[in-house]
Amino acid sequence: MNKWGHSPSAGKKGRTSIGCGLFSWREPFLPVRDSSQVNPKTPLHDPRSDELLAIRCQLGERPAFDALIARWHEPLWRYLRRLSDSDDAARDLAQDTWLRVFRGIGKLREAARLRSWLFGVARNVAMDRLRAQYSQGTYVDAEIDGIPDVADDANLEEEFATLESGLATLPIIERETLTLFYLRELTLEEISGLVSVPVGTVKSRLFRARQQLRRVMEGAQK
Amino acid sequence: MTTRMESLAMVRKLAQGELSVKARLGYVALLLASSAMTAVMVSLWLTEPVLPLRTQLAFGAMTLIGISWVALSIWALSARRALLARDHVIAGRMSVAFTALFLAGAIAAVLMGGKAAAFGAAAMGAVMFAMALRVLAGARRRYEALSARREALERELER
Repeated sequence: MNKWGHSPSAGKKGRTSIGCGLFSWREPFLPVRDSSQVNPKTPLHDPRSDELLAIRCQLGERPAFDALIARWHEPLWRYLRRLSDSDDAARDLAQDTWLRVFRGIGKLREAARLRSWLFGVARNVAMDRLRAQYSQGTYVDAEIDGIPDVADDANLEEEFATLESGLATLPIIERETLTLFYLRELTLEEISGLVSVPVGTVKSRLFRARQQLRRVMEGAQK
Repeated sequence: MTTRMESLAMVRKLAQGELSVKARLGYVALLLASSAMTAVMVSLWLTEPVLPLRTQLAFGAMTLIGISWVALSIWALSARRALLARDHVIAGRMSVAFTALFLAGAIAAVLMGGKAAAFGAAAMGAVMFAMALRVLAGARRRYEALSARREALERELER
């Protein structure tokens, strides 16, 4: 078994029976790998490991879905939490997101784009929810009063909490752009594809978002 | 338990239900059975020379029910329980086996009785069998392509 939790030889063994043609009965009935073989700590920065994970899911390997959840639930949760106004709302959004992921991953054409696809699904779910809230007239934007008082700027944790709260006060478009660019480390091109706007628009949103966040942070520190 | 942990537990539970192979293949079996039933109904209906109105209505209703089941299973397989590559291959094999059985039964009926309905059923069975073979071939191609890519990635990542 390699460090990514897969055994290439096991895969080859299964595929040797394919040559028998349409009526080879053995290979899709291979025993499913135990989920303990999957290492959820596969390096996140190697896009090939994401592609491999997506392909294993598309093949129908149950343990690959466990690995997918283990690897991506936390980042998706953080992203959705920033787009929603409460933990409960984020939990509902995360559930809807994963439902769409399970139902849609088989149709994902470019497995290498797993990361941006996942965030795209999460974004669509959040936008659908926002649209529904707007249509019902129940949408409540984050309030600036939600910023906690910061007594000690030297405390890194508190600074981080302020940053999070400050981020929550930004309009949703700017909040999303900042989250995707800085916290999820998506490239400008990836964000452009994800939110279906030109790269230039992403840049201007980033610029605007930085300025707004700076103002909010300065206001919180006064 | 924090909301985040609760959310993770809920997603894992959700995955168990959503990724159940039994549920997916159940819809494949439903699709096959309802297709066969509809094919038999239509063959009987179209090939009987003179039928009273009530019988015609009964055939119409049965055909409609069969088509509804076919539509439901197709919808479920495309929107709710989408088949993954491995499921597709298994579903393809199920289809080939089932339609081959149906075709063999219809041919036997033709040879024994030679009624017009049996000819109709055999013709539909032949079409369904050809479609099943095509579906299976496509499913195998996709499975093999994904497996090859997976193998290549594993080799690259192994280095």
